[in-house]
Amino acid sequence: MNRLVAVVTAFVTMFLITVGAGVYSASYGKAELVHFWVAFPAGNVTAPMVLRGAGPPISLSPIKIDLDQRGFLKNWLNPAIEGFSTHWIYNLGKKPVRVQMELVNCTIPVRWEVSANLAYDPETHTFAEPLMPGQSIKNLGIDWFFDIPAYYLDEEVIYNGGLKIIDADTGETLTFIPIKIGRGQAALTGGADCCS
Amino acid sequence: MFMRARKVISKNKLRYLSLFAGFFLFVAPFALLTRLVYFLLGNVAEPDLHTICLRMPIDWIFGGKFYMIFGSVMAGFVILVLILSLFVGPLFCGWLCPVGAVSEGISRLIPIPNRFRIFVKDTKVTMGLRYGFLAGFVAISMLVGYKIIASTDISTICCRYCTSSVLQNIAIGVFGNITAVEYWHTGAILSLTAWLIIGGIFMVGGRGWCLFFCPLGALSGLIHKAGAKLGFYRMRFDSTKCKDCKTCKTVCPTWAINDNHSIETSLCINCKECSNLCPSGAFVFNRGKENAKLVS
Repeated sequence: MNRLVAVVTAFVTMFLITVGAGVYSASYGKAELVHFWVAFPAGNVTAPMVLRGAGPPISLSPIKIDLDQRGFLKNWLNPAIEGFSTHWIYNLGKKPVRVQMELVNCTIPVRWEVSANLAYDPETHTFAEPLMPGQSIKNLGIDWFFDIPAYYLDEEVIYNGGLKIIDADTGETLTFIPIKIGRGQAALTGGADCCS
Repeated sequence: MFMRARKVISKNKLRYLSLFAGFFLFVAPFALLTRLVYFLLGNVAEPDLHTICLRMPIDWIFGGKFYMIFGSVMAGFVILVLILSLFVGPLFCGWLCPVGAVSEGISRLIPIPNRFRIFVKDTKVTMGLRYGFLAGFVAISMLVGYKIIASTDISTICCRYCTSSVLQNIAIGVFGNITAVEYWHTGAILSLTAWLIIGGIFMVGGRGWCLFFCPLGALSGLIHKAGAKLGFYRMRFDSTKCKDCKTCKTVCPTWAINDNHSIETSLCINCKECSNLCPSGAFVFNRGKENAKLVS
């Protein structure tokens, strides 16, 4: 009987720890390495929206990262670098597009890490091959890491810019996703990780 | 209750060589096996340990996203590991997995006597802990996947607590670009602590993460047990040869051996440490109907 109680207690305890870890990760995930979806042509994404077109409907929204929402370990041990990430860039338009990316208004250093099943030029942040309508870039992983200088860390607004998706052949901006990193009142978006 | 690493390693040379090879087969900048697979598939992406993510395909399956497994290298890999577990047990866990290899290696190399390390004597309690985690993992996958709870309220625990990611970043930092280890999110710090410090250094055998936080390991264990009951390969204990020296209990990295020396199959990773170190040869790796009857 005691053994059964021990086994059930172990099972329930671990179940609760696991679910608790999921709840905790959702809370700090809104402000640490936020993952978001990209699709074009969406124009200027000023509010949450669902883009429909040649492919699956994709949810887009402005990204606002409130550093006050980060987990205590991040704030304590590694506060000076923040990042965001995407695994999904979809072409929902009607023509093939050679995708170029640009982060605008970069006032602090940003490091790009890009991996994809599509040739990529790190100098111009441009994919060499066109992305067909309805398709996404396969095996994509892009991380943008912001190195925040210590004297910026307590600012209300640390970065206020955005990600432009540009047709590399015409120079036309197809989608602009505003991105804001700051503290306090900034509304939260994202929070889902790449599995959700 | 403490066996020196040199003796353990010398008696299990092939396994440690295999674990060493596993690192180079799956972890970038080497990732030799996944690089070969990508090459054969014509995929120009840079493979790394994420290419064989041990969690996301399981999350997709339980979260109702079956469509995501088709054409996915990582899903193919996970399904292959699970199928092999039916016939030969979780050999990937015991012989190739770089995440388990690193934590077990650290456990073997850091000379802390086992009496200062965490150990659960009762295999049923260990199973309770292990499958409590798996139940939690599956519950979250279903809650999020079927949108029962918003992903902003509860998040899947694949990526936020990813030891593969932590190991991959450290490996890139050591073998390539040091900036790879600059970014640490809260989950990565917690995972590193649970995986290497608590699960590696302060748990007997160094497989704490594998036992209590790896869904692929837990599922493989269940499938292995089912396979053993069907008569497929498993580690078997022969009580007539046993001299009760308890060496097997000391060396088993996954706490799979009961006090009576019988093996809890769902915890066993077929690493063969027990059979290689047992002085009386009481453990054998075989298959057969007689064998199946002995599975508890």
